[in-house]
Amino acid sequence: MSALPERICSHCGISFRWKAVSSSGDDGSQAIFCCRGCQGAYRMICDAGLGSFYDRSERATPTVAEAATSSYTERDLAQHIVSDDDLCRIDVLVSGITCPSCVWLLERMLGRVPGVEYVSISYSGGIASLRFDPERVAPLELFSVIARLGYSPRPYSADQSEKEARRERDDLLLRFGTALFLTMQLMAYSYALYAGYFQGMGEGMKQFLQYVSLLVTTPVVFYSGWPFIVGAWRSLKTAAPGMDLLIAMGALSAWLYSVWALFGGQETYFESAAMIVTFVLIGRLLELSVRRRAMSGISSLYAAAPQRATVVGVGGNRTVEVDEVRPGDMLLVRQGERFPVDCLIVEGETEVDQSLATGESRPVLFVSGDDVRSGCVNVAAPVTVQALRPAGQSYLMRVASLVQMAQAGKPDLQQLADRVSGWFVPAVILLALLVCAGRLLFLGESAAAAIMSALSVVLIACPCAMGLAVPAAVLAGCSRSASLGIILRGGDVIERLASVDTALFDKTGTITCGLPGIIRLETYAGYDAAAVLQAAATVEEQASHPIARAIVRHAAEHGYQPESCRDFRAIPGRGISGVLPNGERVLCGSRSFLREQGVSLEVDSRYDSAATAVLIAIDGCLAGCFLLSDQLREGARGVISGLAAERMDICLISGDHQTTVDRIAAEIGVSSAFGGMTPDQKLAHATELQQRGRRVLMVGDGVNDAPALASATVSCSLSGSSDIALENADVIITGDDLSRIATAYRISRATMTIIKQNLAWAFVYNIIGIPLAMTGLLTPVYAAVAMTASSLLVSLNSLRLMRFKHNG
Amino acid sequence: MDESLIILIVLSLCLGAGCWLIFIWAVKKGQFEDVEKPKHRMLDDD
Repeated sequence: MSALPERICSHCGISFRWKAVSSSGDDGSQAIFCCRGCQGAYRMICDAGLGSFYDRSERATPTVAEAATSSYTERDLAQHIVSDDDLCRIDVLVSGITCPSCVWLLERMLGRVPGVEYVSISYSGGIASLRFDPERVAPLELFSVIARLGYSPRPYSADQSEKEARRERDDLLLRFGTALFLTMQLMAYSYALYAGYFQGMGEGMKQFLQYVSLLVTTPVVFYSGWPFIVGAWRSLKTAAPGMDLLIAMGALSAWLYSVWALFGGQETYFESAAMIVTFVLIGRLLELSVRRRAMSGISSLYAAAPQRATVVGVGGNRTVEVDEVRPGDMLLVRQGERFPVDCLIVEGETEVDQSLATGESRPVLFVSGDDVRSGCVNVAAPVTVQALRPAGQSYLMRVASLVQMAQAGKPDLQQLADRVSGWFVPAVILLALLVCAGRLLFLGESAAAAIMSALSVVLIACPCAMGLAVPAAVLAGCSRSASLGIILRGGDVIERLASVDTALFDKTGTITCGLPGIIRLETYAGYDAAAVLQAAATVEEQASHPIARAIVRHAAEHGYQPESCRDFRAIPGRGISGVLPNGERVLCGSRSFLREQGVSLEVDSRYDSAATAVLIAIDGCLAGCFLLSDQLREGARGVISGLAAERMDICLISGDHQTTVDRIAAEIGVSSAFGGMTPDQKLAHATELQQRGRRVLMVGDGVNDAPALASATVSCSLSGSSDIALENADVIITGDDLSRIATAYRISRATMTIIKQNLAWAFVYNIIGIPLAMTGLLTPVYAAVAMTASSLLVSLNSLRLMRFKHNG
Repeated sequence: MDESLIILIVLSLCLGAGCWLIFIWAVKKGQFEDVEKPKHRMLDDD
């Protein structure tokens, strides 16, 4: 086929060499187009009477890349940009990512653009996180870099990525189903041909079967295998050899060889071509399901983000997209709605279900002046709030981007695999050519045999397993820990966490809840503990304050369930009152509250000033007093014993008095405890350990822990922690159970083991396979099966992490 | 003998093509959209 002359498309202006689509203009002039789309656009413009558009001399010739990005203006993109100190961040959904090499290529190319500080692309979501200096580079330029590489960029929003994922999955499923159906038919003909080869077969019948084989193989290679061919073309164009190139080379050469053999009256190998494609598609489908499972964690966070908000304005209320809410806007949040952005309550009182933020599902009272995090549910009554932050910087989105970074970050081992893949593909191509030439020239074999063994080299070398080894394990590890309530903030955290040998714990808010628990109950005036507990539980059941919850919990532990309570009233911050079924009126609250209500407090004389006291009066007479104090968090002992069992050194560091710290340390079984430490002392303690070669895990929640968290090898916070602690934490435990830290450590160890197994397998496989293929012992069919089996093995091996148990 | 084989092969291709069309229909109708939920649906209350 002779190359066509280069021509210029009349609409888009790109130069092309393929067969043109032509049409006659209204004035009889001939116009040529690179594709039907351009022809359509040209007609539309001419039909609208705007044909002179094409005569405008200042019209710049747009490139394909510009065409792909021109649908976005700087203003459109500005909405999706989050400012991060003096840098900006934007998340871009990149479609067309098919293999780890695509990620590698995009990261390198984007990283070279001046002004880009950080690029990380999540293979599972196809989402690129870019941090750039807005002074030096415009986001639109980054978009055109992505487009020039042949991928299509879009600003990321949850909805779009979901649609994209569905479209990709359906497409893959159709291609795979078609390939499977045709390959099964093909195998029947192949077996007949194998039998004919050994037992003899009529020449006419053989020819017929070979033609039918050609008929069914062609769609497998060119329809089902189209993504590989496109990927290979992209690789060639950008001179960045990738996996797709190997697969397309294998399938196409087997097909071409067989067509040539068919007309030459020789044996055909159509089944090789079809099986390569079918098996690799199985791998892709499996990979997609690993990716989807991992993605579901992020999606659930985005799903909690409300899409619309009601803005209160002078002209009445209007509903707007949540992205349009600006800090300072007044919003109405109705009962049952989620708070759309982080906001401050300005009018009204309500109870809020903060389970998304804290894991605690019991609603908490919020009054005007309190700030609420986005995604929390307004349970009780409508409130008017003032937006504090735009949606992109609100709590939910911050957590969501944490999870996303977790998937995009990669351990050093991954970079090793990337480096290897980079030189691997050209090496394999060279090797295949050498083998072919060698066998042809020196061993004097037939061209067919030489080509077959070159084919096997190409096939066996497909480093699918190598490319999958690290991401599959990291994805499985991250998604399993996410489902156990552990958010790992980066793939590299897994590697660092697995190497930790020293753990430092903060006390208040970490080992202890920072929430009150009952330490003693005093009774007065002849009431016994039973009556006081029953009365207190019944009334406090109605309230949602943490102290009320502590009392109800305490009563339940002693076997007292709340009864029905009438006339319940709560005075926020002071106390509550209610009437018991037997008609007794109960008051619960602070000393001043009871005094205001006219209760005589004379009998109340002795209590520890360090503890909080909640007094109870029944029918106006002081009946009892609960003393509450900070108590151990759930799983505190579990995490200490769990980590100690892994031979880790554990140390308690706290700003509290040495005596209190010693008491807690003794209670949970920690031998070394330091009290009275300032934030910089904590930091110094952590850095000193690191200088001595220790790998330090720091667990803390407060602002005072933040410096130590930032410097530690791995830092861990609980979901209720201060924002600054969360931002510096590599590992975030959602919910209250501290023993999940030990689980996180064990998961990271398990993931590293799996990664090492996967990499070892991938290398061993190639080391054994390539020489075998070179000697011609391994024919393409076996090579295709072996390759897929090894990819499957790596994927399934990674999926073992999904069965990881919390306490197992 | 050859003739009957050819007829059978063509028949099997037609049969397979029919199944393939049904498969395409199923994908387009979203039958494979969610393969996790339906199997638990019979255990749900409503």
